[in-house]
Amino acid sequence: MSTGEALARAREGSQVPQDARDKARELGWDDDLIDLAVEKGHSLAIIWQALKGGVTGAQAKEFLVHGQSAAPRDFSWMKVPTEWGIRAKAADPALGLAIGDLNVGTYGDIPDVWTNRSEIARGSYPNPLNEDMGYTIFEKAVVWADCCVPLYEDAIRDRWVSATDLNWAGLEALPGDLEKAVCQFMTEQSERAYFVGALWSGWLPDISYGFLELKLFLSTVIYDLARHSEAFRKRALSNCGGLGLQAPTDYSRVAQEARSFIELAAVLFVQDSMLYTLFSQGDQFAQNDLERQMYQLVAKDRARMRQYHVERLKHFLFKTPDRRGEQDLYFARAEAKMVKDWGDSAVWEPLAILLGGGRDKIAQGQAKLQELRKLQVQNYVQDLKDATFTRTHLNGRMKDMLA
Amino acid sequence: MAANPVTESGLDLSWLNLYDEPTSAVPGKKGLTLKEINLGKYADDRRGLGDMTYRTRGAIPRPGAQRFGPNYQKKADVWSENCVMLYEEATQRQWSSARDIPWETLEALPDEIERAMCQLCTMLTEVEFIAGDVPGQWMPFVSAQDFEAGLFLMSQIMDEARHTDVFRKRALANGGGLLAQGAGLGLRTLIEARDFTEMSVLMHVQAEGFVQSMFRMGELIGQTDADKRIFRMSAQDESRHLAFGVMHLKYVLDTEPDRREEIHHYLDKAEGDAAGGGSGDVTFPPVFESLCLLLGGGADKFDEGLQKFLLLRKRQINEYVHRLGVAGLGDRRDRLGPLMAQFLDPA
Repeated sequence: MSTGEALARAREGSQVPQDARDKARELGWDDDLIDLAVEKGHSLAIIWQALKGGVTGAQAKEFLVHGQSAAPRDFSWMKVPTEWGIRAKAADPALGLAIGDLNVGTYGDIPDVWTNRSEIARGSYPNPLNEDMGYTIFEKAVVWADCCVPLYEDAIRDRWVSATDLNWAGLEALPGDLEKAVCQFMTEQSERAYFVGALWSGWLPDISYGFLELKLFLSTVIYDLARHSEAFRKRALSNCGGLGLQAPTDYSRVAQEARSFIELAAVLFVQDSMLYTLFSQGDQFAQNDLERQMYQLVAKDRARMRQYHVERLKHFLFKTPDRRGEQDLYFARAEAKMVKDWGDSAVWEPLAILLGGGRDKIAQGQAKLQELRKLQVQNYVQDLKDATFTRTHLNGRMKDMLA
Repeated sequence: MAANPVTESGLDLSWLNLYDEPTSAVPGKKGLTLKEINLGKYADDRRGLGDMTYRTRGAIPRPGAQRFGPNYQKKADVWSENCVMLYEEATQRQWSSARDIPWETLEALPDEIERAMCQLCTMLTEVEFIAGDVPGQWMPFVSAQDFEAGLFLMSQIMDEARHTDVFRKRALANGGGLLAQGAGLGLRTLIEARDFTEMSVLMHVQAEGFVQSMFRMGELIGQTDADKRIFRMSAQDESRHLAFGVMHLKYVLDTEPDRREEIHHYLDKAEGDAAGGGSGDVTFPPVFESLCLLLGGGADKFDEGLQKFLLLRKRQINEYVHRLGVAGLGDRRDRLGPLMAQFLDPA
């Protein structure tokens, strides 16, 4: 029986367990001090707490003589040498007190390498001993982009709610082939968003507190993807359609297979860039106002993801130029599988029907899709360039799309 | 169905023939929520077997779809009957720590009080940081057949990010700073869980329950309107997490009663010698002392604060036991760890 259990049992009988008396002697308490404390109305729990907290006999006597409780009271935490006197103010009153405003003094020092393996808040005073919490990412270059600080607050400011911000009641019936094309597109995109949300989520426990703002930003990305997933599903189930064929798995598997955050980010760079362009061109394939608005909102969210990817890669390459060539390998894998997915009939045919305006106009739709794919690849290559990365061996089929 | 057989015209279009149950969800009073689209063959009660892909419930399986690694195959492993509603509530009740907290109401506080508040916030930002990692850790194991549970966890990740940030903001907004790191506070227990239900009972029901009980005493702990609002807003979020956990546990106990002893085992471990994950271990001076200072109103009223602190512990433990009872684990009362049992009111 542990002392805690003994105490709990003793509570009813008001008997002081021997373990407590032994501990008290160990700390130099006079034999009658525990009884005195009980007499003064202190519970056994409090007395045990004092013993466990290392209150010495002299301290206990002092507390009891002065009629105070036996609880430990050292307040040493008040004097730890952290930076004090911080009064963060909102730089932009319209935005409010943003996390960027907190990065003042030593609290704004985001180290190149974070060394603490616990969940310690950056800037607080570390315990002398800590268990390893299992983080694996300690290098700023791997995850960081300065833009994650403002993007976090932007994401919160720009939040939307699919249930009420979209005019579901205004949906009107579409011709069967168009509705089915919408539903197939929604099925694919709902699954892709859900998958990537789950994927990013799984990486959160790897990132140490040194890069807090990045984790906060990724949390908004995950939440955005949740919302996209459910919004697409809602659209598929709200206008006489349903869910179609599940998404192809080739590209997503490559993302799932990433062995490091660097590889993961490179693989997702490809899709996030491509999907940003796709949704920013949503007016071309939207069949009604609801879809138009939904694509605009999704594109706005995706613009933040894209910006993060570009700045992260740029920062990473600047810090680790020797790993530039390695990125080509990841981009090559991702591009190959993305192009494979694009060639899937359940991926391109719905888009061609939507772009053309019907099954009977699928040829015109195909031509438009070709242009759209070209734009996606162009923007992707430009995003890489913005990140100071020139893709020397762009996937052959993507290269063809640029022609 | 083959995804790619090219016909004479170069088109496949076989995906056009998959719609055998035209579905038209109608918006309700709260718009078009997940509840409204939980219908027909897409409803959670029509859940099929999982296939270790990310095919969401009701989508047509693709021949040749690759698996993505093991995930839970049974609904009871992750499901909570209220997750559909809780996700939508989360989307409606998102708030901004930047704009929804009246930071301008912060006023200079006596040094010891400001330090106590900053110490509490240092502990809380740590706790909330882990609270975001934990659901993240489990997301890849939630089958897309039960995607609403996954969506809820993603909303929780967002909530915890906001809590991490708001307590950091508070510590750095009123002439103070961060102080001493917490002492683990049972947080490792949450990360160490090796089963979703274990995690949920420890985090959602126990740890977040304790935090929730603390936040609901925010009117006593908080010294300014901004502080009080932080606790109020955070408590609102914690209520959802807690509700998910309670109803998940209930679902497990209702559908898999043979897991009862296993769940007790997790709680036996967690309640052992600790005061409970995330609750602020009473033997850890920075948390205990800062709470007593805040609750009492100063070092000279420490004993008064101590009495309120004990009331807080009492409230935490009694509410915890009550929630377990609601979930169907009422017999926990008789097995509660001794450090908790001392605060439990008689039945």
